[in-house]
Amino acid sequence: MAEGVKAPPNGGGLRFKVRAPREFYGGLSLIGVAILAIWASGDLPGMHGFAFGPGTAPRLFAGLLALVGALVALTGLLFDGPPIERFAVRGPAWVILAILAFAGMIRGVHLGFMTIPPLGLIPSTFAAFMISIIGSSEMRWVESLIAAVAMTAFCVGLFVYLLQLPFQLWPWY
Amino acid sequence: MSELLANLALGFSVAAHPYNIGFCLLGALVGTLVGVLPGIGTVATVAMLLPITFGLPPVGALIMLAGIYYGAQYGGSTTSVLVNIPGEAGSVVTCLDGHQMARQGRAGAALAIAAIGSFFAGCVSTVLVAALGTPLTSLALLFGPAEYFSLMVLGLIFAVVLAKGSVLNAIAMILTGLLLSMVGSDLETGAGRMTFDIAELSDGIGFTNVAMGVFGFAEIIRNLEMSQESRDIVKAKIKGLMPTRQDLIDSSGAIARGTILGSLLGILPGGGAVVASFAAYTFEKRISKHPERFGRGVIEGVAAPEAANNAAAQTSFIPLLTLGIPPNAVMALMVGAMTIHGIVPGPQVMTKQPELFWGMVASMWLGNLMLVIINLPLVGVWVALLRVPYRLLYPSIIVFCCIGIYSINNSPTDVVIAAIFGLVGYWLTKHDFEPAPLVLAFVLGPLMEENLRRAMLIARGDATVFLTRPISATLIALAAALLVLAALPMIRKRRDEVFVE
Repeated sequence: MAEGVKAPPNGGGLRFKVRAPREFYGGLSLIGVAILAIWASGDLPGMHGFAFGPGTAPRLFAGLLALVGALVALTGLLFDGPPIERFAVRGPAWVILAILAFAGMIRGVHLGFMTIPPLGLIPSTFAAFMISIIGSSEMRWVESLIAAVAMTAFCVGLFVYLLQLPFQLWPWY
Repeated sequence: MSELLANLALGFSVAAHPYNIGFCLLGALVGTLVGVLPGIGTVATVAMLLPITFGLPPVGALIMLAGIYYGAQYGGSTTSVLVNIPGEAGSVVTCLDGHQMARQGRAGAALAIAAIGSFFAGCVSTVLVAALGTPLTSLALLFGPAEYFSLMVLGLIFAVVLAKGSVLNAIAMILTGLLLSMVGSDLETGAGRMTFDIAELSDGIGFTNVAMGVFGFAEIIRNLEMSQESRDIVKAKIKGLMPTRQDLIDSSGAIARGTILGSLLGILPGGGAVVASFAAYTFEKRISKHPERFGRGVIEGVAAPEAANNAAAQTSFIPLLTLGIPPNAVMALMVGAMTIHGIVPGPQVMTKQPELFWGMVASMWLGNLMLVIINLPLVGVWVALLRVPYRLLYPSIIVFCCIGIYSINNSPTDVVIAAIFGLVGYWLTKHDFEPAPLVLAFVLGPLMEENLRRAMLIARGDATVFLTRPISATLIALAAALLVLAALPMIRKRRDEVFVE
């Protein structure tokens, strides 16, 4: 697929043509990360005498990262490259939602608009399984429910009984 | 020599303790179990299974992790042979001939030769680790902060050279990893760095969260994009597990050559197992009398890379155990595990905790033996597992990872951080950035900064110290030479060809 597909020059400025968007925007993002790091470590003391301060190394490496990021972005302007692969939305969204649901349910969480009580391992695992499986385009209800129950049982067996880790299992104990 | 034997005897007395044998067996078993799952490579397997070892005593935990590592690698080969989906770069080569053999109904022979080759390689490289351990440790004692820093630079440059894709991208990942490792309190002053006033970040970003995110979650998200229905599981019944006499004769030379190549390449920091299997396959094809048959199911094409792969996996412990420097992403995970158990990897491990050091060395051999014993009879189980559709597998992996991460610190925040790194990892692969150098740099970060600061302080702020001390200068020169070689476009092109092949 990568054989010299010309990417549409979307948003590459007026004078420059983005020839390899994957590199160009990747490089720009790295510069962004570097600037963020420099800003975040800006209040830390730097060199004092011969000694590095806490801020020296972060600023040093962030500076290098900005430089490399600029070079990566520059290659995106100078050389042709493949377009950015499409980002899937559905799969990643449900997977991330499932992970966040697990994190929120297992110990409870206070969000601005609602409060989830600590629900324990069993409901959290079951819910995370069911939410993440929605991300698949081939989901079947009955099969999924059976698999969710089986996996929850397996995890409880492994982590609670075999590895003896302290877990709250249910909302009520 | 007698010292070597005495050390090995101590190691075996530790490793042969029933508990430790049990941990080793369990590790090899679950490692294979997860490693078999298509699309999940060695690094992801080890990252996912890290949490279950944290509750064990240190020796047991490391022995189990080593078992997981070998199991994961062997599981990856099993998948390559049976389904033609390489779990990771290292098993790509095994796919070539292994899957062809499976299609000809010789999956049993391919798997058996893979196990036998790995076992032989394991035996040789275990002795090598034991033999090289002591001299390298004494070398390590000559190292000051400047040398350590330069050695780590060299290690990271190796990772850059061996990473897929462009050199610049890999360097960028190294720098990002170093920056991420600096989040949290400063080692010397305790000042909170780049924490954005988030209390959870004041201890730094947990290493397992990063590894689990960029290797585990990101890999699942990426796999979801591919159609999973085109899986090509070998339908033919696997008959005749044992290879024929002719198979053994054909593969013995390949196994020996693969072992030697793998042992050498494994010690080098950077890529270890992956490069070793590619190199062994290419070498075997080159010296073969019938190179045209490679890729159509010759047994040497399975034996050589599998032996090399395993030998390299083993010898990659050498830099970790003697110098305290992880040469690849899996060893970086081992460092993470050791740190959690309060062990600082490095030359002092061998002198202060000989039973840990030698126990681990001995358990390498035991782990390989277990792989032979458990995997040949269990091939049927792995085949059944491969038939489980991905739509049911991936939610299972996700909940397993969630519980694993949560259980380390009982911290829901860790789970959220891992989710964020999952998205980061997904983005990285879309922009052709490889996450392995990032994780390696993330682990080396604190060590590197500490040694850099110390070296600069001792040299009274003179940055040329890295070039004026002979050992350090040699290491830096090596690193620079490597980088130049990798950056030369012609060589880069050739390197890409090797990986495509």
